[in-house]
Amino acid sequence: MKVELNKVFEINGSVENTWVFLQNISSVASCMPGAEITEQVDDNNYKGKVKANIGPVTMAFNGDIKIIKIDPSKKLLHFIGKGQDTKGTSVAEMDLTAKVCTKKDGKTELVGTAIVNVSGKIANFGGRMMEQVADQILDQFGERFANNIVAMGGDAAAKEAAKILDKQPKELNGLAFAWSIFIGFFKKLFS
Amino acid sequence: MSTTDDNIERENELQGIGCSRKRKEDPRFIQGKGNYVDDIKLSGMLHAEIVRSPYAHARIVSIDKSEALALPGVHAVLTADDLKPLSLHWMPTLAGDVQAVLADEKVHFQMQEVAVVIADDRYIAADGAQLVHVEYEELPALVDPHKAMNSDAPILREDLVGKMDGAHSKRLHDNHIFTWDVGDKDSTDRAFDDADITVKEDMFYQRVHPCPIETCGCVADFDKINSKLTVNVTSQAPHIVRTVVSMLSGIPESKVRVISPDIGGGFGNKVPIYPGYVVAIVASIVLGRPVKWIESRIENLTTTGFARDYHMTGELAADKDGQIKGLRVNVLADHGAFDSCADPTKFPAGMFHICTGSYDIPNAYARVDGVYTNKAPGGVAYRCSFRVTEAVYVIERMMDVLAQKLNIDKAEIRLRNFVKPEQFPYNTALGANLDSGDYHTALNKVLDAVDYKGLLIEQQEKRANGELMGIGIVTFTEIVGAGPTKSCDILGVGMFDSAEIRIHPTGSAIARMGSITQGQGHQTTFAQIIATELGISSEDIQIEEGDTDTAPYGLGTYGSRTTPVAAAATALAARKIKAKASKIAAHLLEVSTDDLEWDIDRFKVRGVPGQEKTMKDIAFAAYNNLPEGMEPGLESIDYYDPPEFTYPFGAYLCVVDICKHTGETTVRRFYALDDCGTRINPMIIEGQIHGGLTEGFAVAMGQELSFDEKGNIQGNSLMDYFLPTMVETPHWETDYTVTPSPHHPLGAKGVAESPHVGSIPAFTAAVVDSFSHLGVTHMNMPHSAFNVWQKCNELGIDQHK
Repeated sequence: MKVELNKVFEINGSVENTWVFLQNISSVASCMPGAEITEQVDDNNYKGKVKANIGPVTMAFNGDIKIIKIDPSKKLLHFIGKGQDTKGTSVAEMDLTAKVCTKKDGKTELVGTAIVNVSGKIANFGGRMMEQVADQILDQFGERFANNIVAMGGDAAAKEAAKILDKQPKELNGLAFAWSIFIGFFKKLFS
Repeated sequence: MSTTDDNIERENELQGIGCSRKRKEDPRFIQGKGNYVDDIKLSGMLHAEIVRSPYAHARIVSIDKSEALALPGVHAVLTADDLKPLSLHWMPTLAGDVQAVLADEKVHFQMQEVAVVIADDRYIAADGAQLVHVEYEELPALVDPHKAMNSDAPILREDLVGKMDGAHSKRLHDNHIFTWDVGDKDSTDRAFDDADITVKEDMFYQRVHPCPIETCGCVADFDKINSKLTVNVTSQAPHIVRTVVSMLSGIPESKVRVISPDIGGGFGNKVPIYPGYVVAIVASIVLGRPVKWIESRIENLTTTGFARDYHMTGELAADKDGQIKGLRVNVLADHGAFDSCADPTKFPAGMFHICTGSYDIPNAYARVDGVYTNKAPGGVAYRCSFRVTEAVYVIERMMDVLAQKLNIDKAEIRLRNFVKPEQFPYNTALGANLDSGDYHTALNKVLDAVDYKGLLIEQQEKRANGELMGIGIVTFTEIVGAGPTKSCDILGVGMFDSAEIRIHPTGSAIARMGSITQGQGHQTTFAQIIATELGISSEDIQIEEGDTDTAPYGLGTYGSRTTPVAAAATALAARKIKAKASKIAAHLLEVSTDDLEWDIDRFKVRGVPGQEKTMKDIAFAAYNNLPEGMEPGLESIDYYDPPEFTYPFGAYLCVVDICKHTGETTVRRFYALDDCGTRINPMIIEGQIHGGLTEGFAVAMGQELSFDEKGNIQGNSLMDYFLPTMVETPHWETDYTVTPSPHHPLGAKGVAESPHVGSIPAFTAAVVDSFSHLGVTHMNMPHSAFNVWQKCNELGIDQHK
């Protein structure tokens, strides 16, 4: 089961700050709902985990993140995260390329392409919802990422952003998440 | 002299052949008093849970079971390495291949068995299974069978590399299993070269699963003191299980007892021997305690015997009048990762050679190539006698395609090509020997019953109105009753069946068969056969099946073989008793047996009113007053080796209305006429037909096990897999004709699978016919609203103008 998603997030901050933040894998991972880096193995390899409650299903993935490329000239990051759920029934892999760009109007944006591959139970059950689920996860990721950049500034907006970040749930919230998928699904149907 | 009224009364008392006797199984089932495998609870019993692969194709790098073993309540964790010293990590399949019991170095399909955890209860076992850490290295999955024999295809079966002598033929590629062909290819090719007209159609008969209400399971109990193994198992063939278990374990067959208790539906799914049974048995032997393994629904749908998965190309050659000159069929069969098809040994494509159908086809050739893919193994007969469903599907679809091409009515083209009543017994071009039939009468009866002409006129009107209405006609011929031991065996054991009858001194009886009921009502119908043969009331006859310690050896119940084979054995065993009874009667009446005549339940001295002995009198005499030299007792056993298959047939007509905006198909009418020869219990036949039609409806309209490009199975739960309920199921109208089988002792042919075999192409035919005026010749199943709507969309008829 393979899904490819292309996302663009507008960032209220400088290209430089965004690029600095993007290179900090632990921080980037913390923007992913339910994810955290547990160990840095070497310059390019990390270990991490992702925990999620989706409906009746609780899944915890342990996995490895491997940086394939950090290209400062293009401000591009490419990594592959791969994990197996702790029950041994599902496998997920995300190949993510993120690039910091400047828009024509001078604003900063984060352009990402994610290829998500899943096998096992998650693919058997979640197959039909995969695209919506991945889409929502990335939207939450984008929102948190953007807040992090804002928080890097020194103004009132930064404080506000820091507050939001502080309050964000540590794991993927099942019910709210399911609702957002539901809404997203219907929006798509009628768009 | 007995009056006619008296005769009728005595007949009625017997509740014999031809009466709709109420099922004797039902009182316990409707009161929840059935005894299924999962109801069995033995003292000290442990529970097994299987660790399964998330990948369809991967190498096993390591298995760490230490955490699972540390969990309180876990007794053992077994992997292939633990089974190796016993040579039980692989096991033979019924199809001449081998199958991994627990994955040995590689997994070949998603949810393949990798390890088993044995624990105090099922919850601990399930928790333990999650603590077995398996490291995999993913390999490219082979999902599309059309790519299986490409030069760059990943090789699945490393254990078979270089072994090109397959079980059934030379293998053409490492992923190739066999080529099986039948018929005269040259004469068929010539018929096509010379024909006025030829038609060709590709069709895919999707992978489906019988999905019985009760999943598979077993309770294995090894008695260390007596070295005796008892296995309670969900099996449609308990004797075969006993033989295989003895062969695999080395325990003498006399010390293996296999019991099939009540079974909650089989439909072919419970014929094979599954890894779960083997690991439960091994664990019980190793631990010396009973071990229970019961599948979950998802495990059942994902890993145990699927059915079909045939990619077929049908071709017909005919003259301008639609007279068929030749049939050619090529099949690519997706067998999954191991060839564990449940077919008689010499028939790797089952009875597919019945694909000439009900028609007089002079030249025919069929070829089937089986290939491996990264999917679960199986290939069971889902309510069909070994690939007959596929065979009937291809010929019935092709008849329609030909009719469409020639613009001949679909009923008319069948009437023109039917084997005629005077041609029976009829040898088909592919080697089937049709025993009896009257196809014209059957189809004409259906056409009259539904006012076929009226339906055609209505269809014309609807089409003019832009509405979609379809009429599907199927006239199928089944091949059941496997089978003659000269051609049919399973693991070398001939496919006979057996019955043993004992008459007690007071005139009641017990009978045991080598078959096993799973809803067919054997307890009811076998007693009716004996009642008619011996004049003992059905109510006084106990039927027992399923315990290999008491029942005579038989090959089990599947492929509609029980009425053709075990019921014949029952009749013949009864006739042996009757022969002895006549001698006892003659002795008691002091006449010669030639002076006796049989009258319902007694022997009478011909021409001497009042001189008679009932079977009850004779039974008592068998234990105290016998002719000189005759051994006491009144019992017999018969092993029946059928001289031939039987060939039930039928004519089905289906009318559908389709909403072109949504693709929703409504089955407006379904008329099913079956001819299964002599009818033993009409009520049970009716029930069987309703069940078969409903399962046919399920397959045609919704069931499918599909896979994504990585071999992830899609829809392996009842959230997705279509099981029709009262809500979806159409109303069924049934009818019958009776054309007895000339070679069966009772003239009976078997019926349970006909409605499944016959109805599936009827649904497809009706759906396709709804679009035939728009040039559509075939649509693959399942005919779900989504799939049908796609056709509407493709044709541009789904939008309001």
